[in-house]
Amino acid sequence: MWSSERPCGLAFASILVAVSLCSLPAEAQQQAEGFALERLYTSAPGGGWIVLDALDMHGGLGGAMELTTGYEHDPLRVQAGGQTLAVVSSEAFVDFGLAATYDRYRVYANFTMPASLTGDSGTVGNYTYTAPNVGLGSDPDNLADIRLGFDARLLGDARSPFRLGAGAQLFIPSDSRANYDTDGRVRAMGRILFAGDQGIFTYAGQAGVHIRTLDDSPIPGSPQGSEFLFGIAGGVKIPVGSAKQFVVGSEVYGASAFRSFMQAGETDKEWLLSTRFEGTGSSGRQARVKLGVGRGINPQFGAPKWRVVLAVELFGWTK
Amino acid sequence: MRVTMRPVSWVLVVLLLLLHSAWAQMEGRISGVVSDPSGAFIAVATATLNNLGNGTKQTTITSDQGQYSFPVVAVGQYELEIASPGFQPYKKIGVVIDVNGVLRIDAILQTAQRTQSAQVTNVPTASESTQTDKSDDTSFGLMHYLSKNGRHDVHNETWNLYGQLTAIGFDKPSFHAAYTNLNGSNSSLNTYAEQSYTQTLTLFFGLRLRPGTDLYIVPEEISELTLSKLKGLGGATENFELQKVGSVKPTIYRSRFFLRQTFGFGGQSIELPSGQMQLGEHVDSRRLVFTLGNFSALDVFDQNSVVGDLRKSFFDEAFMTNSAWDFPADARGYSIGGAAELYWDQWAVRVMRLMPPVEPNSQTLVFQPFKYYGDQVEFEHDHVLFGDQPGAVRLLLYRNHELMGRFADAINAFEANPADNAANCGTLYNYGSENPTAPDLCFVRKTNVKVGIGFNAEQSITPNIGVFFRAMYSDGRTEVEAYDSADRSATVGTKVKGALWGQPLDSAGLGFGTSWISAIHAKYLEMGGVDGFIGDGALTQAHENMTEIYYRKHISRSIYLSADYQRVWNPGYNAARGPVNLFGGKFHVEF
Repeated sequence: MWSSERPCGLAFASILVAVSLCSLPAEAQQQAEGFALERLYTSAPGGGWIVLDALDMHGGLGGAMELTTGYEHDPLRVQAGGQTLAVVSSEAFVDFGLAATYDRYRVYANFTMPASLTGDSGTVGNYTYTAPNVGLGSDPDNLADIRLGFDARLLGDARSPFRLGAGAQLFIPSDSRANYDTDGRVRAMGRILFAGDQGIFTYAGQAGVHIRTLDDSPIPGSPQGSEFLFGIAGGVKIPVGSAKQFVVGSEVYGASAFRSFMQAGETDKEWLLSTRFEGTGSSGRQARVKLGVGRGINPQFGAPKWRVVLAVELFGWTK
Repeated sequence: MRVTMRPVSWVLVVLLLLLHSAWAQMEGRISGVVSDPSGAFIAVATATLNNLGNGTKQTTITSDQGQYSFPVVAVGQYELEIASPGFQPYKKIGVVIDVNGVLRIDAILQTAQRTQSAQVTNVPTASESTQTDKSDDTSFGLMHYLSKNGRHDVHNETWNLYGQLTAIGFDKPSFHAAYTNLNGSNSSLNTYAEQSYTQTLTLFFGLRLRPGTDLYIVPEEISELTLSKLKGLGGATENFELQKVGSVKPTIYRSRFFLRQTFGFGGQSIELPSGQMQLGEHVDSRRLVFTLGNFSALDVFDQNSVVGDLRKSFFDEAFMTNSAWDFPADARGYSIGGAAELYWDQWAVRVMRLMPPVEPNSQTLVFQPFKYYGDQVEFEHDHVLFGDQPGAVRLLLYRNHELMGRFADAINAFEANPADNAANCGTLYNYGSENPTAPDLCFVRKTNVKVGIGFNAEQSITPNIGVFFRAMYSDGRTEVEAYDSADRSATVGTKVKGALWGQPLDSAGLGFGTSWISAIHAKYLEMGGVDGFIGDGALTQAHENMTEIYYRKHISRSIYLSADYQRVWNPGYNAARGPVNLFGGKFHVEF
């Protein structure tokens, strides 16, 4: 689908893209390949927020299972020379995660199943894009990259006003690049995490590095190598009875390629209205339901125009 | 990477197995059977062996036949304790193991005040007969470890996690054939020596969303190398895992993602043991079970607990299900759809609709459930013979309404216009034959119907010996859509547990299989046509017969090694080719 729409906020990016395109031979029509498009790097199972991490692991052996589903609109719109192509206009996924915790440590794994990935194929500038066509029938058993992670809280206890931690994640490639759910190569993340609770207020944040060896620059919309990760969240806790609470807050997060640090075309920023209803017991089995609704602050480089996320978590700790 | 093991290597594997067996004799072992006062076996009882010398403990649980075993026990003095919900604990003191000592200690547990939670297996229900394999190896898994430490309850689970790793290798020496791939055909089994292998790693997640509602997710990784690009065998593919269409480069995929909803209608309370794709729970013997989502037809239909999970028993695809059952599935054997099962004590009725592939044996499903589909119905009755030995019989009927070609149509099209030959398919979906003198199905694919009827029986003769029989007759008018190139098939065999020779966790099996094709299918192959897996360019029609014998050796905890031999006569239903010898080995571990 072609469109003449050109968001003014993307002007600089468009100029950069146009300059880049001008350096290519006019007759070159190169095929752009797919990549791991999803920018919603969910928190670890049992992690509290949708993206950020509450760092509240404690007690003896514990664990969590999580089932998350989400939909996002226009996560990949490529723009150049006044042209816009929604290479991926619609994406839906189901994610299943499992975590084990002990004291202040957590290991976890996530398995993401793309339920639908569709868009429009076409040419923008000198690049031809082939939209994914992933559906229940066409790809009945797809798994996107598998995530293995480890987190540790380094400072503070599970409920202290300031908690500092660190985490690492490894993404094992699965599926094919044509489906826009993998880079086809191993990726890794290292993050510094912080979080805290003070009265009815709760917050969390992160800063880190996404080690990504795929660098398809100057293809518009494509990965540009390793990225800086950032995010912050804050909210209010509303007690419901003696052992449950409702949390309403916001999460802002994103990533920027080091190659062109914080430039619009290579930076995604998203905002989520993040709500959750959860058990608050310090031991025993708990449940959590999370709902997030949000939009891309600059809807490009993998940030969608808008998205909805729903998650259910079962988690628990022993004393 | 190609497997380069020769037959001599498999001999070495067998020798290693025997050496391990001999080494094991330097230790002692204790085994036995646990039953209630009526003689009924008690499954999932916990047996604990306390070493009075050093204070260490070993724990295991009993199988569906009430058997337990401690295969490696150091010399010393022990105390044996056996416990099961609903029964008074059993304790035997003064148990002494000497070098090479083999003790059998059978225990009769006295009924406690309340016994409703005990599972007795002398009157099996329809659901119990399909559970035999699930408690054997998983008893060493994470769930049972947590359960024994009081952190989990395997009898009433809200979640579970199991895993398995299986590696299978085969060596096929060269064999004689009068011809191979005549006139540009491409679906013969190569006559030169070849090796094949598969390696799978699977995780099984189960999660109880609410009472009666379970969610299962099963990611799997496979790496494989096939014989002759998986061509040339009709119903006797040597390794059942090869159906999953992997490559040498590991492939990760989601094999299953489904919901199971159970509604109870009373009757007996029976325990379904915790295992792969089964949360440990108590259910009514009268109940209705719905399965919805992404799963395999074989998860619900045509189960046979004597054959069991092929990762733990036979190797050949012929024993996994009826070769002639063209069950709807993608190229890996999975599909999307729904099933309903009504259990009523010793009876069960199942119905299922699944989506077929867009093209025969392709990975893409056609998701039009009211236009293209495969329907299945199965009736099951469980019984007891020979005193208290469980058995079951099943009748399976299927009807596929799918896009596929009829052999008669392909022949007619070719005879009417010889330009419609196998070398001239162009962009039409075909199997790559370059035979210009042969008909091809690529010209005639349209909506067609395939039907078949099958019979499945299993029977324990003694607690350690079981026999099985499967047979199916399909109409044979259309090409294979999702499974084997076979129109009719039958298998018979026996599986024996190692308790007979003092190795209770070992097992051995011997089976025979035959499959054959319809007259019109044979005519199509005689004219040089190929279908999904067979077609030598000519045919001297015969039944494809096979036999398989294996031995499965328990190594440690849930680690097993198996050695296997298969012989296939008339591969691809062609008496001008073969016989073929196949030497296999399998490594299997569960956690």
